[in-house]
Amino acid sequence: MAEYQIRRCERHLEGGIHPETHKQLSTTDPCVFVDDPKRLVFPIHFSGGGPGEALIAVGDTVSQGTPIIKCRSGIIHVASRAGTVVDITDHAITHPSARESESIIIEPNGLKEQSYLDPLVWPFDADTLRDRAIEAGILGLGGAGFPSFKKWSDGTQTLVINAAECEPYLTADDTLMRIDTHSMIRGACVLSQTLDIKTIVIGIEDNKPEALEAIENAIKESRSDCLFDIVLLDTKYPSGSERHLIWLTLGIEVPTGSRPVELGVIVHNPGTLAALSRAIDGKPITDRIVTLTGEALTTPRNVVAPIGTPISHLIKAADTNPASLTSITVGGPMMGYAVTELTAGITKTTNCLLAREVEIPPESPCIRCGACAAVCPVRLQPQQMIFSLKGGALDRAIHEGLTDCIECAACNAVCPSHIPLAEWFRLGRFEARDKANEQRLAAEARARFEARNVRLERIAQEQEAKRAARKAKTADALEKARKAREENA
Amino acid sequence: MTKRPDYPPRDTAIMMRMVLIALIPGVVAMMMFFGPGVLFNLTAAILTAVSSEALCLGLRKREIQSRLIDLSAVLTGVLIALALPQAAPWWLVVAATASSVILGKHIYGGLGQNPVNPAMLGYALMLISAPVSMTTLWINPLATPDLAAAWSAFLGQASDAVTGATTLDLYKTEFRALTAIEAVRNPLFSQAHLGFIYGYEWVALAYFAGGVWLIYQRVITWHTPAGLLATLIVISAFFSFDPDTATPVWVHLIAGAGIFAAFFILTDPVSGATSPKGRLWFAIGVGVLTYLIRTYGQYPDAIAFAVLLMNFAAPMIDHYTRPRIMGREASVKGPGGQS
Repeated sequence: MAEYQIRRCERHLEGGIHPETHKQLSTTDPCVFVDDPKRLVFPIHFSGGGPGEALIAVGDTVSQGTPIIKCRSGIIHVASRAGTVVDITDHAITHPSARESESIIIEPNGLKEQSYLDPLVWPFDADTLRDRAIEAGILGLGGAGFPSFKKWSDGTQTLVINAAECEPYLTADDTLMRIDTHSMIRGACVLSQTLDIKTIVIGIEDNKPEALEAIENAIKESRSDCLFDIVLLDTKYPSGSERHLIWLTLGIEVPTGSRPVELGVIVHNPGTLAALSRAIDGKPITDRIVTLTGEALTTPRNVVAPIGTPISHLIKAADTNPASLTSITVGGPMMGYAVTELTAGITKTTNCLLAREVEIPPESPCIRCGACAAVCPVRLQPQQMIFSLKGGALDRAIHEGLTDCIECAACNAVCPSHIPLAEWFRLGRFEARDKANEQRLAAEARARFEARNVRLERIAQEQEAKRAARKAKTADALEKARKAREENA
Repeated sequence: MTKRPDYPPRDTAIMMRMVLIALIPGVVAMMMFFGPGVLFNLTAAILTAVSSEALCLGLRKREIQSRLIDLSAVLTGVLIALALPQAAPWWLVVAATASSVILGKHIYGGLGQNPVNPAMLGYALMLISAPVSMTTLWINPLATPDLAAAWSAFLGQASDAVTGATTLDLYKTEFRALTAIEAVRNPLFSQAHLGFIYGYEWVALAYFAGGVWLIYQRVITWHTPAGLLATLIVISAFFSFDPDTATPVWVHLIAGAGIFAAFFILTDPVSGATSPKGRLWFAIGVGVLTYLIRTYGQYPDAIAFAVLLMNFAAPMIDHYTRPRIMGREASVKGPGGQS
């Protein structure tokens, strides 16, 4: 039995909000498997892990687990069901940009063919685990989709499991922690063992008693020699933000510009660790738990769905006619984004489909009431930043802290003028990144140009020196010849 | 979930309405001691404010209806009406309100764009343009006018029997010749129910109650009123070592617009500083300037000029009072940026 403790978090989130959580909506009915859809959609460049390339061609037959996409980061995505590749074409994708992108379309054939990896046999080292995570396509399943193996550096002291799930409506992590607890704990233990991590911290909001109980039982049954430190957090949005979770559970403030890894902390979503556990047994990520929720759905619930399942198929799985909905939010109401094209397939980071009618009141002018600043968890002054951004003063907004914004949208939720602040900041941050990139390219070009000038000058000097030497040699020879002539004469 | 969900938000109109509700006790107290003229002023100001707002929105080709229901114009009208002399003639009220809304707000681009407090701009403009009316038409609370007297004052024929300078002004000019003991023999002080100043004490108390309710409702924060009142108390207490020459603390607090301004004027979010720390500094600045102008200036009160001056300082205050961003070593200072 592993050692563990449960403690109440002594720190409280500064700022943040208490939205209605609406979590009961999707936790009343049990989690079920959805029927296989007629087609699966895998965007080649937007499946997580960066832009990729197709490893298969149209007409190929694939098994469940056949690699189909290799990303620039190395991450490999596999076919989630056996079937035939019917097309590689531009298709609607699940992405905030809401555009079409090159996608692989697979029609499942209903067969149970599987092509899995060989199970890893303990003991193995961290590199083996990294390779396995790459082959099994392990990404941060919480939403960001960051390739997990990149976080696993030696010298890590603490693994934090982000079980906060602070976003309203979402219950996918909660569900996973209730039904797949052992996988999560095993994944965490194996990762800790290979990276020589001594403490596993579980940050969980106090509105998930069932998950907490399941975790406690699973830890009791595990044989890890890690210390499990379970931290009960206040239910307050956004306690599940990576930086805030680290501060709440460990009291460490991650400096701006640094990543938690540099401080010896890695943070993983419960789903990521459960997926890692299965990857060790040879099974790459083919399915994930998705919360289907919202007042517009007849049967809101959690489902286990193959990656690539079209959104409309899942809406049907919630006993709702997709045609009755105009738009679906992917993710929660705070940080999610709307998709209108319901033929797009879910990706590894699609944790929730939210269907509800929201009336967006018209925007009115900012009166600088400061409600946004009061709830900003990073202590920004959104009312000042919006002024700079609307005035086109990007530099000023960056000076005011734009790049520290975590895009949690707590400011949106409290704005009495209904200003879409977070959207402005998201756009501004994008522009800031663009600008930084441009500046970097310009600096590189300048460096190249200056290096070229130096090089040209050096070549000119060398040639000059050579010419001088040649001239001296010639003069020398002439002098000798003249002397010889004079002597002869 | 035990905490109250703070989502969806209260919109601008609801916040303005709450401020208007919080003003009710103060208005009632003013009507009790200064007569029905307060109501005439309020009516004229609200009508002027709303029509000026509609006119400007129309000229600026903005949607009139949705902006009018945000109540910000009504609030401006109410605030200026309460700040003006209670026996002011109608044209003074109309001119003050119209300049508040038009010159104080719409010239700069309407709601959210005004660099200074609109009500105080209108007030200051009137003080400079019509100094006699602005300084001599204050009602003596011991001679509360009846309906007829109030109406004739509103029409421009105020009776000298009921009007005069403000108590604050009186204390400064006339009582200066007296000792403190002699000064408080004046019926204004000796007949006071609470032992401070007849009438004014109840008005101040009523505004205080409304302001505290606003803090409780989280419409305003405590920083602004606390900053102003604490500064006034500290400075006037410090200089009152000679009670026969200095204006005492309680006169500073109760006789003028101190309490009213602390909760309802300085708290205008648009023209004030915006961070909690900034609001505190802003209010302290107003407090210092108010004391200086009241003591050395020739005006009946000083809040309007103090607020206007600090309004211009608000952007700078904001640049130097940003909180430390999470993950940074220190807070970011200065305006920054190239544009």
